[in-house]
Amino acid sequence: CRGAATGSTRTTAGPAWPSPARTTAWSPPTPASPSDTTSSRASTPRSASCKADKCVIASSGFQGDIKALQKNLAARELLYQHQHNKRMSCPAMAQLLSNTLYYKRFFPYYAFNVLGGLDSEGKGCVYSYDAVGSYERTGYSAQGSGSTLIMPVLDNQLKSPSPLLVPARDAVTPLSESEAVDLVKDVFASATERDIYTGDKVEIVVINKAGTRREYIELRKD
Amino acid sequence: MTKDGVVLAVEKRVTSPLLEPSSVEKIMEIDEHVGCAMSGLIADARTLVEHARVETQNHRFSYGEPMTVESTTQAICDLALRFGEGDEESMSRPFGVSLLIAGHDENGPSLYYTDPSGTFWQCNAKAIGSGSEGADSSLQDQYNKELTIAEAETIALSILKQVMEEKVTPNNVDIAKVSPSYHLYTPAEVEAVIARL
Repeated sequence: CRGAATGSTRTTAGPAWPSPARTTAWSPPTPASPSDTTSSRASTPRSASCKADKCVIASSGFQGDIKALQKNLAARELLYQHQHNKRMSCPAMAQLLSNTLYYKRFFPYYAFNVLGGLDSEGKGCVYSYDAVGSYERTGYSAQGSGSTLIMPVLDNQLKSPSPLLVPARDAVTPLSESEAVDLVKDVFASATERDIYTGDKVEIVVINKAGTRREYIELRKD
Repeated sequence: MTKDGVVLAVEKRVTSPLLEPSSVEKIMEIDEHVGCAMSGLIADARTLVEHARVETQNHRFSYGEPMTVESTTQAICDLALRFGEGDEESMSRPFGVSLLIAGHDENGPSLYYTDPSGTFWQCNAKAIGSGSEGADSSLQDQYNKELTIAEAETIALSILKQVMEEKVTPNNVDIAKVSPSYHLYTPAEVEAVIARL
């Protein structure tokens, strides 16, 4: 099945917004975004938002910039709908996000994004960004303070063996939806153990042709 | 307009044997999937086509996808009524040109007709310019939805022949099609269509 899962973690228990002392530019809360053909990603607190036709963005970093960026994209998406009489496809949103970020190349949005959704063929797609808009379509991705803990696990589980091997194998190991969601839960639980900023809860968003659903999973609160 | 694409045909109106026919350009490409035929003040049309080209490329840059034909047409028509907005880009007179915009996008092939008021209509078949009333009624008789590209070429050219004063030669007509990408016919290809008339 094709879908996307987004998980996010809350940095602190309690207030809706992390206290200013925590939310510094230096240590973004942990977002992480694994994804594969079923497209699962994880994102930072309150920054998974629904956009476009089955497309979700997850951002980690400075919350002020994240809010501004996501509001900007939401407005652009609405304008697009009015002008072109259709919803924005995920690849179009991907390009738009890249351009929006590069537009502020010399005063960047401190936001590390992962975009996930279904492309025009209904396959899962994940786009991973840096702060200035460099992007790549991948099968899975992780961003944020826990990314260094999560990405190696995803690589190990999902990445293909070397492209030099014969016979040729698939670029990314296809997973079923439940396998992908379980993987997301596992990697977040692991990241929570060692990364101080990751924890409390993870929000998992699954996108497939049936629709979009969200799950909240509790994590260690210390 | 056919199921496989759209055919545009124009009379070049070569007024003198000294006039270089290839310099009379009345069908132009806007993007790989959109072309346009013009009638009226050709210089005004060039401005509109240039604007459309910029808009389609901007769209490709921003969204990584081709612009729909309707949006392209809307972008052109947005220019038509720029009067009285103060100093910025306001015009002193309307664009004296009608356009036929032919293209292919995810909704299939489509044809739009624009006029100086900035209104546009989607059509299955249309004739513009002098002699267009007669040509339009011929189109109404001969057009049907099941045409192939080849049949559409023949019909377009035969109707041109009816309304033109001179004989149809590869030098005084232009044909282009968008199926699914824009292609302007070479004189040899035009010759081949003429031969089928």
